Amino acid sequence: MQQNILMQIENLSKTYQMGEVAVKALEETSFELFEGEFVVILGPSGSGKSTLLNILGGMDLPTEGRVLVKGEEITKYNDRKLTAYRRDRVGFVFQFYNLMANLTAKENVELATEMCKNALKIDEVMAAVGLEERKDHFPSQMSGGEQQRVAIARAVAKNPLLLLCDEPTGALDFKTGLLTLSLLHKINRDFNKTVVIITHNAAIGDMADRVIKMRSGKIIEIKENANPIPPERIEW
Amino acid sequence: MRKLDVRLLRMIKHSKGQFISVTVIVAVALCIYVLFNVTSININDAVDAYYDATNINDIHIQLVKIPGTAVEELKSIPGVKEVQGRVSFDVPLHVEDEEERVSIRIISTPAAGEQINRLYWQSGRPVKVDNNNLILIKQFAEARNIKLGDEITPYINGREHQLTVSGIASSAEFVYLMENEQTLLPVADKFGIAYVSEEFAQSVYGYKSSYNEVLITLKDQANIDDTIEKLEKALDKYGVKRITKLENQLSNSVLDQEINQLEQMSSIIPVMFLMVAAVIIVIMLSRIVANDRMAIGVLKALGYTNFNVLAHYTKYALMIGLAGSVFGIIGGILLSGPMSQVYIFYFNIPFLKANIYYSFIFKAIALTSIFCIASGLLGARKVMNIMPADSMRPEAPKSGKRILLERIGFLWQRLSFSWKMVIRNIMRTKRRFILLVLGMALTYAINVIPLYMGEAMPAMFTLQYQEYQKMDFTVDFTRPMNEDVLIDMNHLIEASKMEPRLEYPFELKNGWYKKAVMVIGVPQNTIFYEFRDPRDNKVRLQDGGLFITEALSKALNVEKGDFVTIKNFVPGKKDIQIKVTGVVKQYLGINAYMDLNAMQDLLVDKEMITGVSVASTDDLKEKLKDVKNIAAVRSSADLQNAFLEYLDTMAIAVNFYLLFGGVLGFAIIYNATIIGISERSMEFASLRVLGFDKRDIYKMISKENIVMTIIAILIGMPLGTSMISGMAESFSSDMITMPVIIAPKIFVYAAIATIFFVAIAQLATRRKIYNLNFIDALKSRIS
Repeated sequence: MQQNILMQIENLSKTYQMGEVAVKALEETSFELFEGEFVVILGPSGSGKSTLLNILGGMDLPTEGRVLVKGEEITKYNDRKLTAYRRDRVGFVFQFYNLMANLTAKENVELATEMCKNALKIDEVMAAVGLEERKDHFPSQMSGGEQQRVAIARAVAKNPLLLLCDEPTGALDFKTGLLTLSLLHKINRDFNKTVVIITHNAAIGDMADRVIKMRSGKIIEIKENANPIPPERIEW
Repeated sequence: MRKLDVRLLRMIKHSKGQFISVTVIVAVALCIYVLFNVTSININDAVDAYYDATNINDIHIQLVKIPGTAVEELKSIPGVKEVQGRVSFDVPLHVEDEEERVSIRIISTPAAGEQINRLYWQSGRPVKVDNNNLILIKQFAEARNIKLGDEITPYINGREHQLTVSGIASSAEFVYLMENEQTLLPVADKFGIAYVSEEFAQSVYGYKSSYNEVLITLKDQANIDDTIEKLEKALDKYGVKRITKLENQLSNSVLDQEINQLEQMSSIIPVMFLMVAAVIIVIMLSRIVANDRMAIGVLKALGYTNFNVLAHYTKYALMIGLAGSVFGIIGGILLSGPMSQVYIFYFNIPFLKANIYYSFIFKAIALTSIFCIASGLLGARKVMNIMPADSMRPEAPKSGKRILLERIGFLWQRLSFSWKMVIRNIMRTKRRFILLVLGMALTYAINVIPLYMGEAMPAMFTLQYQEYQKMDFTVDFTRPMNEDVLIDMNHLIEASKMEPRLEYPFELKNGWYKKAVMVIGVPQNTIFYEFRDPRDNKVRLQDGGLFITEALSKALNVEKGDFVTIKNFVPGKKDIQIKVTGVVKQYLGINAYMDLNAMQDLLVDKEMITGVSVASTDDLKEKLKDVKNIAAVRSSADLQNAFLEYLDTMAIAVNFYLLFGGVLGFAIIYNATIIGISERSMEFASLRVLGFDKRDIYKMISKENIVMTIIAILIGMPLGTSMISGMAESFSSDMITMPVIIAPKIFVYAAIATIFFVAIAQLATRRKIYNLNFIDALKSRIS
């Protein structure tokens, strides 16, 4: 099948200064992302997958290498352009949801959409994630799964090109985790969004179109799934 | 509303204790700013309106004697608009209580009615006076409860005159009713003004068709100095004693000083308060930003710009400013009416103009906004450095280094574990520590001020009347007399010591600087006057030299060794150049001193004196009340007593200022503790898990505050000392020099007050610590 290239990642390297130690998080990484694809980046903790995600999302800059989004090099962007990129092109879902504690579910979503040009209708998105009933609750009044659904709604409602999810099931129990995955799957199919999930859970790889395996800051394998299985059938 | 603003409001609601405590400081600052400024303008306006309505003189001239025709001729001097001659003299008033001594100034009023310094009739129509009645000034009538139709009995030239009070009126010339510069405080029931007919005044005083005072109004204020020079020449032959501009007239200059003081306070206090508020806001916001690290990362990940996020947190500071402004300004406006009234009532100004000046409201809001935005930006500036990706990772551990004290092994080893922790905690957050200690030191210094005032005010009087001027009584003659009069005086009264005194008003000049003051001649070996130089060394008068008081040395810009010119108004005497041989301390009044003999030779006449200073246990007032040629007997004890009464009212102001200091202290400590708790909730939670109980943690924080308070007090001492100097400087005027008193008592009480306020704030935070949920704190990765 003929796929359009969304992102080109070329020779990315990243070195962190953690206190007094220098940590090499990413070394010479290159690959491509296609439009409408569901990708899982798999690796143990410390493999550099979060760093990669942050750079893809314009939250961090590489020490070396470049990232092109639809032909435009975002790694050359200045701070303002990078902010605009995050605002209009990318949706983030974090492991710990990271909702604003003093805003309700709906307000948390609005916080993100207020500033986007082509945001989706909030009520539709809230319905899609199944939270119409809970939209006026504060994060502290919701379960972890509900909070993660709010976080997904917040990311999707912006109508981004790309949804980046950092261990979206990491803080959830098995059942809730599966629900979250099928929600992401649904968004990938229904809204035709490119979804990138990073996880250390190999089982999640089974639902992806492609799996990128990482270890110690390097890609060790890129595997295409000819027949991805629906998330409901995943087990771990 | 934008969701970020919703978040801001909820953030404020969540931290309302801190928000309110800082808002109160801002509100107090603005309340004072608006209140004092508006009040001072209201008083100024009221005084101006009063002066206009009664056509107050521009120039007031005292002279020996001038015929009515010569007064009329003054109109031909360029610049002069109106002239009016009058007779004015002070006499004792007979009152029921034989012990009490009351004096009254008799002032003549022209038969055709006054042109200049018209009386102001608050109730009733203007009254004409003849030879049997008089008009009494309102303050005096009220203080002595004298009603229309009552009779009063002044002694004039040794004779009692019974006169009916036919009118009670006010005069713009005597808003602040004081006998002379030496009195310093109005004592309304001891000194009054009575207006009598010109005919009566001239006949009893023996001044047929003549006057001893001239009032002048000008066409143009700008040329006042030229006109005065011309008047001086024209009046030389009539024995000019003093030519005074309105601005230097006693009542007006005291009023000016009061208003100036109010204006000064209106800028010093608010700025000081706003500075403290700014310091707290900076600390508070930098803490909030640190706590919100992850939320800030998320906001940035969502696409909010640095500017958006910075503005979000700066708005928190701005909200404090706006809330404080609203409450402060409303408070200031509400209070300005009553406060203006109190002043206007106190000063006896019949024109109440309680206006509100909106310009101050705008200025106040602008001032506060600048302070708050600046401190907001400063406090929230770390927002810029937070990278969204970094913020998702746990913070790198703070570099834990050994502190200096730990290297001093023998000391460190002696400390208990909890003290070690306390000291490390303090030393590891140096910036916060420095800001907080400075804030508390400022609180301490603010507490020092009222306590100092409480010490300085009575000390001023004790020093003046027990150290520098030791006489019990000062007797003034009605006219200069030969020194032989001392022998007569010795017969009249029993005095342990008596000393001649020559007191004359002269104008002292040094180039552009000039000042009309009383020059006092005392014997070289004076027993009553003690002169001390600014370093507190005793100094003695020399033959041809002049001593000037500190205030005068400033006014004339001369120092020891310089020469000044004494302009001589005494007919037939020339101006002289004289060397200033010493600058001496004097807290009340502004004077110059000369050796009596030298002053007689150079400036007045051989063997002339104008009064005596006396040490006596006798009741001189009683003994001398019927004696001819005695104009006034002043008792040092009476002056001191009047002042002590005045001090009671001062106590209210002192407590008021202490309360200000308290509000500041509370807000600073309260915020510091709350911030400290939130900053270290993780640490406390860990301690709780390790088995510390709530009380242990509370104790630890208390210990930190105790250490900080002690250091703050140590720093506050020099700070308070310099504030005392500043206060003494700003309160000193021509008439009062505030002594700088650095008494240990002041600092001890200020420390007690500071500790008290710290303790209250400490208690207020107790609940916060006891309610700290350590399980939540440990999980607090969610923001």
